[in-house]
Amino acid sequence: MLLRKLIGAEVTLSYKIISRAKSSWDIVAGVCVERLPVVTPPLNEIQQKFKDLLWTIETEKSLKSDHELRHENDKVQAELLKNEAVDVDLDAVSKITAQDFEDAATDELTQFKFADLLTDADKKGVKSTPERCLQRHLILVTEQKLGKDAKNILPQGLWKEGETLRQTAERILSEQCGSGLKVKFVSNAPCGFYNYKYPAEINGKLGAKVFFYYANYNEGDVDKKSKPNWLTRNELTELLPEKYNRTVQSFLIEETN
Amino acid sequence: MFSSLILNQLSRLTLSSASKLSLNTRNISSSAVVQFRITDQLCAEPLKKKKKVDPAIIKAREDRRRKKLEKQIRKLQKNARQLKPIEEIEPPLHLMDQMGKRKRPPVVLSAEETESRALLLKEWTRYKKQEYMANVAQIDRIMAAQRRALDMLYEESEDLYNEAIMPDLQLVPCSFTSTFSTPPIKNYESPDGEYIDVSKKWGTK
Repeated sequence: MLLRKLIGAEVTLSYKIISRAKSSWDIVAGVCVERLPVVTPPLNEIQQKFKDLLWTIETEKSLKSDHELRHENDKVQAELLKNEAVDVDLDAVSKITAQDFEDAATDELTQFKFADLLTDADKKGVKSTPERCLQRHLILVTEQKLGKDAKNILPQGLWKEGETLRQTAERILSEQCGSGLKVKFVSNAPCGFYNYKYPAEINGKLGAKVFFYYANYNEGDVDKKSKPNWLTRNELTELLPEKYNRTVQSFLIEETN
Repeated sequence: MFSSLILNQLSRLTLSSASKLSLNTRNISSSAVVQFRITDQLCAEPLKKKKKVDPAIIKAREDRRRKKLEKQIRKLQKNARQLKPIEEIEPPLHLMDQMGKRKRPPVVLSAEETESRALLLKEWTRYKKQEYMANVAQIDRIMAAQRRALDMLYEESEDLYNEAIMPDLQLVPCSFTSTFSTPPIKNYESPDGEYIDVSKKWGTK
């Protein structure tokens, strides 16, 4: 009985090893480079309402600031001056009132020019740079040659004997997008899986198994020859093949509002 | 016979000649009883004798040490109840003086206002709950995607799988920047001015 069990285990194990050895699939590493939002996304209705409420309660419960005290004092002094009270100490009347200070500060604020939320790329409709849609998550999509036709998908490439999949992912990214692109891989493990069949067998391989690695964009530009596009979630849905898109979005954070 | 014996013995005093003569340098000999003996070379000196101290003095010394410790403990116990004020959390005195001036008139809320605030709070709670549930579902989904990828990798190659599940030590320490409320201005030079740090240094000196 025990012997039979042992033999059975042995057989399944060796079967596994054999089936692995003559695997008829190419191992491919894909890289999902994401640029995280730079600017906080706009608040939705309820968030805005609740924020306002918190702000009112906070003001109600607070104590008066130095500036407010100064403002009140100014008012009292002005009142005394108007009534020509005898005991007005002219030195005590400040030359610059709190109101003046407030006006000057407001002036300075209005003169300061904040950077535009819509970048140049947004205005021109250019998608090849990560400096667009600052409030959104962006995914790097490049043009890949699959057989005869070119497709817009995530950068990917064949695994070579002797390297780990993570190394493959890093190599592919620097090969295809140039060494100027700086990213941070966040794991040794793949975050997603996708497989597709070749139209005809290539070197005895049925198709490719793609293992996606996730990385965060740090800085630098992508080589133009790979025809890069930085796309939001909605644009991904439009551009990528349907099943592929579903796989990619299954390991990405969903964008609310 | 006798002369050779003498030579035998004295040869130890002159080591160089002994080796030359190749005579028996040990005290073992097959001849008659050897009467001449030389003390052993020890290459060390005898140990010093331990000084004896009067036990009464030792006891007195011990007592003094114990008393000193007990005194310290008593002193600590006496002060245990007293707490030392922490300077940095004491409100400044001038603010305490102006407390009356700084208080705002109490806000009287209308019934409608109170009601609308309560409703908003409830709505907010519901919203946060939904958000939380969505977050949990999202994390589940992402973890499932990774699990599937790892399972598929295991099927394909166990070596690659083992490499993939290794921890990435480059990630420690790890830092992320959060979002900003306005986009950063490129090549922005902040206006001139001096930065003077007036914050006090707290902690032990």
